Amino acid sequence: MTAVIYNEENTFSNTEPKRVKVYVLENNEWKDTGTGFCTGEITTTTTIPEDITESTSNEEKKSAYLVVNNEDSTSSILLKSRLEGNIEYQRQEETLIVWKDLDKNDIALSFEESLGCDTLCDFIVQVQKHIEKNISLISVRSGEEGIGSVHEIITAPVSLPNIEGEQNTEKMYDALKILNENTAYEFLKNETIEFVLHYDYIKILIDYFAIAEKNKCLKDLFLLSNIMKTLILYNQRDIIEQMVDDDHIMGVVGILEYDTEFANVKSNHREYLKEDAPTFKEILPLENEDLKVIVKKCFRLQFLKDVVLVRFLDDHNFNLFLDIILDLETCIIDFLEVDPFLNNILKLYDLTKQEEKEYTFLEEKRNDGIKLLHQCVQMSKNLDERDKTKFYKALVKMGLFNVLTYAFYTAIDPNIRILATETVVTIIEHDILLIRNTASKNSKLDSRRKSPIPGSQGSEKNSIPMSDEMKLLKILSKILLTDKSPGLREQIVQALNTLLHPEGCFNSLDSDLNTMGGSSMLNEFNYRLNSEKDPNFNSETEMNNEYINEKDMNSSLESIENDQEFQLQEYFNDFYRQIAPILFGPLIHIQTGDDKNEPFDDFLLIQLVKLISFASTEHTRIVSRKFILESDILKHVCELMKPNHILQLRLTAVRCIKNITVLDDKYYHRYLMTNNLYDNIFDLLEENKKNDNLCNSCIRDFLKIVANRSISCQMDFQHREEIRQQTGVTISKKNNFAMLNKYLVNRFGTLLNEMEDIPSVGTMLRLVETDQKEKEKKSKSLNDHILCKADTIMEEDETMEIRKRVRDEFDNTNEMVNVNTDEISDSMPSKRQN
Amino acid sequence: MQIDRTISLLKQGKHITEDAVYALCLKSQELLMTEANVTHVDTPVTICGDIHGQLHDLLTLFDKSGGVEKTRYVFLGDFVDRGFYSLESFLLLICYKLKYPDRITLIRGNHETRQITKVYGFYDEIMRKYGNSNVWRYCCEVFDYLSLGAIINNNIFCVHGGLSPDVNTIEEIRAIDRKQEVPHEGAMCDLLWSDPDDVEKWSLSPRGAGFVFGQNEVNQFLHTNKVELIARAHQLVMEGYKEMFDGGLVTVWSAPNYCYRCGNVAAVLRIEDDLQRNYTIFDAVQPQDGVGNAIIPTKKSQMDYFL
Repeated sequence: MTAVIYNEENTFSNTEPKRVKVYVLENNEWKDTGTGFCTGEITTTTTIPEDITESTSNEEKKSAYLVVNNEDSTSSILLKSRLEGNIEYQRQEETLIVWKDLDKNDIALSFEESLGCDTLCDFIVQVQKHIEKNISLISVRSGEEGIGSVHEIITAPVSLPNIEGEQNTEKMYDALKILNENTAYEFLKNETIEFVLHYDYIKILIDYFAIAEKNKCLKDLFLLSNIMKTLILYNQRDIIEQMVDDDHIMGVVGILEYDTEFANVKSNHREYLKEDAPTFKEILPLENEDLKVIVKKCFRLQFLKDVVLVRFLDDHNFNLFLDIILDLETCIIDFLEVDPFLNNILKLYDLTKQEEKEYTFLEEKRNDGIKLLHQCVQMSKNLDERDKTKFYKALVKMGLFNVLTYAFYTAIDPNIRILATETVVTIIEHDILLIRNTASKNSKLDSRRKSPIPGSQGSEKNSIPMSDEMKLLKILSKILLTDKSPGLREQIVQALNTLLHPEGCFNSLDSDLNTMGGSSMLNEFNYRLNSEKDPNFNSETEMNNEYINEKDMNSSLESIENDQEFQLQEYFNDFYRQIAPILFGPLIHIQTGDDKNEPFDDFLLIQLVKLISFASTEHTRIVSRKFILESDILKHVCELMKPNHILQLRLTAVRCIKNITVLDDKYYHRYLMTNNLYDNIFDLLEENKKNDNLCNSCIRDFLKIVANRSISCQMDFQHREEIRQQTGVTISKKNNFAMLNKYLVNRFGTLLNEMEDIPSVGTMLRLVETDQKEKEKKSKSLNDHILCKADTIMEEDETMEIRKRVRDEFDNTNEMVNVNTDEISDSMPSKRQN
Repeated sequence: MQIDRTISLLKQGKHITEDAVYALCLKSQELLMTEANVTHVDTPVTICGDIHGQLHDLLTLFDKSGGVEKTRYVFLGDFVDRGFYSLESFLLLICYKLKYPDRITLIRGNHETRQITKVYGFYDEIMRKYGNSNVWRYCCEVFDYLSLGAIINNNIFCVHGGLSPDVNTIEEIRAIDRKQEVPHEGAMCDLLWSDPDDVEKWSLSPRGAGFVFGQNEVNQFLHTNKVELIARAHQLVMEGYKEMFDGGLVTVWSAPNYCYRCGNVAAVLRIEDDLQRNYTIFDAVQPQDGVGNAIIPTKKSQMDYFL
């Protein structure tokens, strides 16, 4: 075992006197032997070695003492105790030092103040380091809530692996034992870490590993492997980083190929790293050597984490690895933002015909470039939000759009398209505005189109010029409609979902407000402004209170807010005018039998129907509904429930209608009923009424919704009656579900009667029965009215939308005292029924 | 037959192409759609708990319990996440399902969702094996079609998690449109997330989804539905299985040495024609010749790295 001496100066001297009381233990009682001043003293004695031949110089021998002089008479010494042997000093709490000297006397020094105690403890530490290696100083404190005590080493002799001379089995065995033991105390652990790094102990192990492997000395190999694992368990960043640098990595993974747990198996990490491993591929020469080193380190850490050590790492280790990797990745991304490397790669996609000829393997380079970008963006996923924004902005500025143009118009390999889409998805999921605002001012989406997408000719040539964001949407839509790769399709749909999600637009602001953490505040702000559901949201004043300290911000926030709302409206208007007719084309132009084009496959239609469902529920109702109803898309959606389609599609169509019905929107309700669009759902039910399968469950869910909502309609009705009787105010109430229920029972009564034992169907039937009885009294049939209400659907304007909203809110409120009757009695079609 | 080839590749932990996975997933969608939310199963049958991507232990499970050629199985979900072979385990099960549709019933676990698999390993595994997320998407689509429960001889109710305050009768489960991502609340969520414990009444679950239910809820459910046992998984049991509430509920756990470090044994529960319960206990596979759960394939997919 080697004691380590670092090159520190042995220059410490006697300490300042500190006031103490001295106690000794006699018959198990501490006896006060007086008060005085304590100093730590060093004396030097020179001894002449007995055998002069061994050493040429005289040895200086230093001794250390704790000395206490009586405060009453400085010449009288209360205590002089030598620091020697293996005495363990204990610092108890703040002001006590206690020990048992070599003559078995228990001594305690009680200092007047903790500073004094500090001074003498420092002295003991210095003595341990330089003169008496085997003494130790332990801190003892009472544990939490006074229970037990906590021992912590302040200084002590540290056993360390022997690195002198040749390594051998015995030394390995000792080293493993020592390294394991030293993990027990923070102090020992830190000393060991310092040792490992200072003497490049890992390299020593690697050198011995070469010998042991050559001699096929299995025992040593397993010992080495365990030592290496123990060092990893030290969970120390510098050690781990050292393991993966060029000098150590092969040795380290070599050692880790041996594993006592699986003694019969040896992994082949080295072979993998040397031959099979993915190589670091430079599309263009990467000139920055530092970056290269980091990239390699990063890969190796991943390899250790995911492969070599995957069974071994505990949560702490794992997190440390993640932390290091994240730091390196952040570093790489930072580098890339400023290094010309990435810029040069992106230039590959923006070449003139002439320039293109100058490159060899251009296509391969461009495809690899997309893989590289994909990897960058995947890597950036873990970064913090601000770094991500910065990096993506840089990418967009460097010309990311040219890359996408290449991927979508020129590249043949579907995998390249998938990677490109995944890249777009990641960026827009982070921040749509990056694409929307900064997007492609310099993009050459149209001018550079080399081969037009099939089926895209003509038609929209003479239309209004498109904004960049619409161009992106158009590309995505067309790929969705033409590309058959199911993986790509999924990706595109996700991209569209993100791009078309109204909330995404508010996720972050492309402005400097971000830098002051304004982003999240703004989100909250926007959320509240846009949240119709928030019942606590009353007035703007209430909100201003919340941000009262940012007076100036408030006004700018509002203008941004208005501006954003306007932009958002424009954006969706553009989408429905320019893109939706293309995207939803297959649902608009119903294909006839003699259509020359290949019919759209059912899997594409599933995605489109899902998008319709999404648009109808998530987009501003008035805009999406106008489009959906005017283009008669729902008629076609219902066609898709017929048996000539796959069941997945048929049920997706049912769900779409179900979701729209749940919206409780009278225009949709009326449209669906007047066009008898529920017929196909009930045909499907007829087909499956005896089966207990997904289809049956799906439609039962629909019937359950109708039944439940109709009941609440009826309860509302009773409630309204009460109010009418109490206040004389008649409140008109949309009763979409009551109407729907009646319609369904009348139209599909036979089938529903067959299924009466299903609770929700029973409810549906009973509701109509009850209602019928009431009706008979009034001798008036409501049903006739329902069916002649096909008009006025398209004529609504925004005020109606607002009125509807107000009425909804009104309906939701239980307190109806302050009813403004003007607000609710208007010329809405439903009113005419009464 | 294509499926036999795939099964044999899977058993060796070999790579399945993206196209092949897609085809398999489509076929299983079609098959699973014909099944009920709560599938009827006949005895004798073997009930299996969580698998969590421990392919080699899943193979042991089949070995020790008779094999799918001779035995009927109900799997209580959580096929993926945690282990290194989530994809292979799940694909193996759906291959068996396609080959022997009446011999194997697959119930959805709380890990069979997009959200959970993104966090607990399946998504990362796919990214590692394929370099993109497509295969993950295909599998998640199949998850949406899995049954929510099973009932054996009208007498034993099988579910991944447990009971729900929104579900009084098994019949009510029928009116759930199960083809969706598992919601954060409601009947479907509870069935996959709830846990039994010694509580007096429905209590909040520390998991953040589902509920904790006690003997009262179990007795009520057993009585209302005229069943005698609730068989569920969802919680690690060191001994492989644990009966509670006077035998009215059992937790079955089938992933030995869970996460390769928990040191537990695994169990499956065989229900005989007379409804007698027989437990089979088994240990984790010891890796040999580079095969075993704990050994992650060192041959990672051959992807060049640029960064």
